[in-house]
Amino acid sequence: MYRETGLVNSPSPSTQDDAALLTLVQRGDEHAMASLFDRYSKVVYSVALRVLRDPASAEDVLQEVFMQIWRNPDGFVATRGSLGGWLAVVARNRSIDALRRKRPTEQVDDMALASSYNLADEAERNSLMEKARSVIVLLPVEQRKTLEMAFFDGLTHSEIAEMTGDPLGTVKTRIRSALISLRKAFTA
Amino acid sequence: MSEERRITSEDLALFAMQLLSKEETAEVAAYVAQSAEARRELAEIQGDLAAYALTADVHSPPAQARERLMRQVAREKKAIPIDRPVVAEAGAAEPATTGRTGSSFTNAGANATAVGDGASDESQRNERGLGSGDYLTEDDQPKRGVAGKVLPWIGWAVAAGLAVAAGNLYHGRETLRGALTTQASQIDHLTADAAAARQVLDTMTDSSAMRVTLTKGQTAPVPTGRVAYVANKGTLIFLASNLEPLQPAKTYELWLIPATAGQNPIPAGTFHPDERGNASVIMPPLPKGVEAKAFGVTVEDEGGATTPTMPIILVGE
Repeated sequence: MYRETGLVNSPSPSTQDDAALLTLVQRGDEHAMASLFDRYSKVVYSVALRVLRDPASAEDVLQEVFMQIWRNPDGFVATRGSLGGWLAVVARNRSIDALRRKRPTEQVDDMALASSYNLADEAERNSLMEKARSVIVLLPVEQRKTLEMAFFDGLTHSEIAEMTGDPLGTVKTRIRSALISLRKAFTA
Repeated sequence: MSEERRITSEDLALFAMQLLSKEETAEVAAYVAQSAEARRELAEIQGDLAAYALTADVHSPPAQARERLMRQVAREKKAIPIDRPVVAEAGAAEPATTGRTGSSFTNAGANATAVGDGASDESQRNERGLGSGDYLTEDDQPKRGVAGKVLPWIGWAVAAGLAVAAGNLYHGRETLRGALTTQASQIDHLTADAAAARQVLDTMTDSSAMRVTLTKGQTAPVPTGRVAYVANKGTLIFLASNLEPLQPAKTYELWLIPATAGQNPIPAGTFHPDERGNASVIMPPLPKGVEAKAFGVTVEDEGGATTPTMPIILVGE
């Protein structure tokens, strides 16, 4: 494999950054693909399992997301933010698609993330997870629940309003406020 | 951010989460396509959502998921263009040096005859070398000695030994993989159990949970406490409602009064009621095997006490 790609003396895939791994994947390097899987499979699977609550379905989403990278590594452009963050959101969107039993849409993955989190590093990833959780716990209960229903349960604002009895505008404001709180905490 | 277009940041957040209707999605997508500010804001929101996605509890995918992916990846191998400069150069040089247009044996024989007139043996070897397209004939094979006859068999013996070792390794790997899969499955079950247990705990301890004490008829709410205690395991859950607010620097303390005569009350945790008078003590550290005669609640200084201070606020046997 490495002989074919002219990378006999390249560093081990597991120590390379995401952009370098994606370049190798573009050339058909299966080791690089395995490294990306080792790096991000937990994030993707955890998000999918949280949404779908079914290990088999979550594993299907996991396969689908990583095969998407293998088939079209150009789908993610490094300048659009962190690959780990992109994968987390794509995993959530694919899972919601599965939940709604609808065909995945193309446009959802074509997105830019204003995020510079280095999820490739496990220590930093764990630290970010802790931070995100601590911020969410401190949110007002209504905001927390509303964001959870929208993001992880895939309920529309109308459905949330119907379930909680809150006005539509209030639901939308709560979702937005919760995300702003999260952003402020991360940029502080 | 866009009052005149009636598309707000709230709409962009819903758009990012794919929660809008088809018509609304098309409307917002069109707006985003033409507004750099909207695209920037949408990117910020996607970044926020990525951070929020990380709040999901971490689970490792099943061990076989990686294998499954790599099998699929291998099935969908990509066609990679391979540069072959050496072959290209050789091909380009051939017409000039040998006058051959291909690698047919007939032409090669003609060449050999042509160069045999004056060319050296060295040049003949080069022409028949790797990549020349020519091969040694039976007559050209070197004579083999005893070592030449034995050595290939040693090679075969080594290959057979390696095959057996590889078989053993494969068997060992499959066994380990099976064990890993089983353990991963057990971990998944345990994780699910832990999640269920955590939900129970969250429901009991969540300050926003609705707590209602049902009584017969219209009676004023009174401080009430309920204890669930398993003596042989030393596990205890205590839930209280309608408790009076505490003075500053004071705390409520739960006591286990042992059934054995002469044994002192055992502290079973301190707690503060919330603004609605609800409180709980979940799984305080208690010795196992202590039969309880009664439970009581007292008010103590912050940090708790080693012996109860009278009066007893709540008591139950």
